Amino acid sequence: MTYRWAYMDHWRVDTPRGPQTQYANRRLMDDFVKQIAAVGFEGLDMFDFQVFGLTGMFGSIGKYQEYLQDHGIAKIVNLFRGIMYDPRVADAHVRGTHDEIVESTRRMLGMWSDLQIENLIVMPASLYTSTAPVTDDKIAAAAECWTRVGEMSLTEFGVRTTGHHEFFCAIRTFEDIVRFYELTDPRYVSFFCDTAQHCIAGVDPVELYERLHDRVSGFHFKDTRQQDTTGAYQHRPDAELMAPQTDRWFHEMGTEGGLVDFQRLVRAMDAHGYDGWVTVEHDKANIGGDYAESTALSMWYAKQVLGKVAS
Amino acid sequence: MSIRRAYAVNQWKPNFDDFCRPDAHLRAFKTVVAAGFTGVELRGGTGRWDPLGRPSSIENTYGSLAAFGKVLTDVGLAAVSSWAVDPGEPVDEELSHGRSVLDRGQHAAIVEWARPFAAALAELGGSRLVVRALPAAWQVGAVDDAAVATAAECFDALGAMTAGHGVRVSLHADVLSAAADDDVLDRLLAATDPAVVGLTVDTGELTLAGLDPVAVVRRHAARLDHLQLKDTRFVDTAGERLRPHAEHAFLTAGGDREVERWFFEVGTRGGLVDAPAVLDAARGAGYDGWVVFESEQTPNPASSVMLNGWYAGHRLGL
Repeated sequence: MTYRWAYMDHWRVDTPRGPQTQYANRRLMDDFVKQIAAVGFEGLDMFDFQVFGLTGMFGSIGKYQEYLQDHGIAKIVNLFRGIMYDPRVADAHVRGTHDEIVESTRRMLGMWSDLQIENLIVMPASLYTSTAPVTDDKIAAAAECWTRVGEMSLTEFGVRTTGHHEFFCAIRTFEDIVRFYELTDPRYVSFFCDTAQHCIAGVDPVELYERLHDRVSGFHFKDTRQQDTTGAYQHRPDAELMAPQTDRWFHEMGTEGGLVDFQRLVRAMDAHGYDGWVTVEHDKANIGGDYAESTALSMWYAKQVLGKVAS
Repeated sequence: MSIRRAYAVNQWKPNFDDFCRPDAHLRAFKTVVAAGFTGVELRGGTGRWDPLGRPSSIENTYGSLAAFGKVLTDVGLAAVSSWAVDPGEPVDEELSHGRSVLDRGQHAAIVEWARPFAAALAELGGSRLVVRALPAAWQVGAVDDAAVATAAECFDALGAMTAGHGVRVSLHADVLSAAADDDVLDRLLAATDPAVVGLTVDTGELTLAGLDPVAVVRRHAARLDHLQLKDTRFVDTAGERLRPHAEHAFLTAGGDREVERWFFEVGTRGGLVDAPAVLDAARGAGYDGWVVFESEQTPNPASSVMLNGWYAGHRLGL
């Protein structure tokens, strides 16, 4: 195993001024970066829109990366594009909006072009509820969209475009996910495996990885204690934050009652020779928990349990 | 042997009913290991609400010291580096309201009280019984030579007993202690037997009390046998630590300035402790024991562990 560990940023802390993120000020940023570096992270994943705040705080996104390196974090590895889908403007299954998706992605990647970002992570389709019924043609349209985006991102910026399938995404079942990758150009679109999201959707992430291992460009390692048994993926307006089934879908690796079989996944990754970055994520850790502790517990599990499983 | 990092568990237990469950211990230990520490320092305590407070409590909670040791090993910890105790604290199990090293009549009981700690430390891979050097300054008043001699007799006897277990007694001067004074500390160390009694330098406590920990390390280099690192942004320039009930009015409530938090992670912004200089001085004196990081009064223990871990790795080279 030669993985390098990256941290997908959802961090927030309680302060005397109330809950804050590290984008609020340099002190909180210092604390955040030191904490993730302390437990062994070497990379950072973040949302694309943070470029604005970081540029304000550090002068440029390049200066921010230099600051990260001074504190023990080698680079920003992956960008998650928080695209707001709307069939009138940008929606992958609506072919008439593809030009806008390509152009807005080009503009966004241009703002990060000083760095060596490896993957642009996208949810390849809108919400299930906004897309249903999910048809072969809608999946085909989404595949066309992201193949165009992927060609642009790779040829112009050296960044791979990779699909991340939330449990409430229109392309969410094993069959539909596989079909999507069959329809996309493997040169330009890869697969980003989020272990908890697939588990919640009733998809075995290890089985999915085995099927798509040659398309995988990264992982979000996080756990869940619950499969969606109530059709929560159809909950409006947001299934992740407001579905009645639970107020917290996600937990750190090693959580009691976790459904993700990380050890089996790591054995599969080893068998296929995966040697890239692995990203740890545990969004919503503040719901009944704490980001700092969840982060440390995740890396304890990565080092002490997964480190001994892997070859 | 080289310098190794440990973490004090005291920050997880602000009150009697905190940090009682083994699953909470496990989360803390995992956090400590993830941040690069290989030992933990326990804090003496009493009663059923303090399952890590004394060896018998650990046995009641985990079945045996060996079982507890296996928990540590399984999680990735090498040892209980040390146990910090205060002879003046009550011990329910012994129907004691606390004992004083300044009372010769209680010395024998103090030695017997400490015996299980020494034996347990030996079993759990530790080597230092960190003992509060003197009670609070406001309680004992001026410490004359007779008082120093009395306390020294107790520590020598204690040290002789623990030496039989391969454990050294190491005197710890917290900010409220009458020993947190250069003159008293010098006289106390001079009166004790170097063969069995050493010195713990706690950077945050000494700095807050107005002492210079680098100077203390240099002055007592031959006696230094334990290091506790934490930072502070303050010095008690008003002498509030000497006022009655300083435990509450000063240390807990923040004193006249209403300071929210006296102690911080090493390297905190505005911190007064020059940790690299302390470590350089210790290394210069040949120190090769545990360095125990602490963060009492932190609002978030896990966060403090990670911040201390970053500083230890990226700025202290530990």
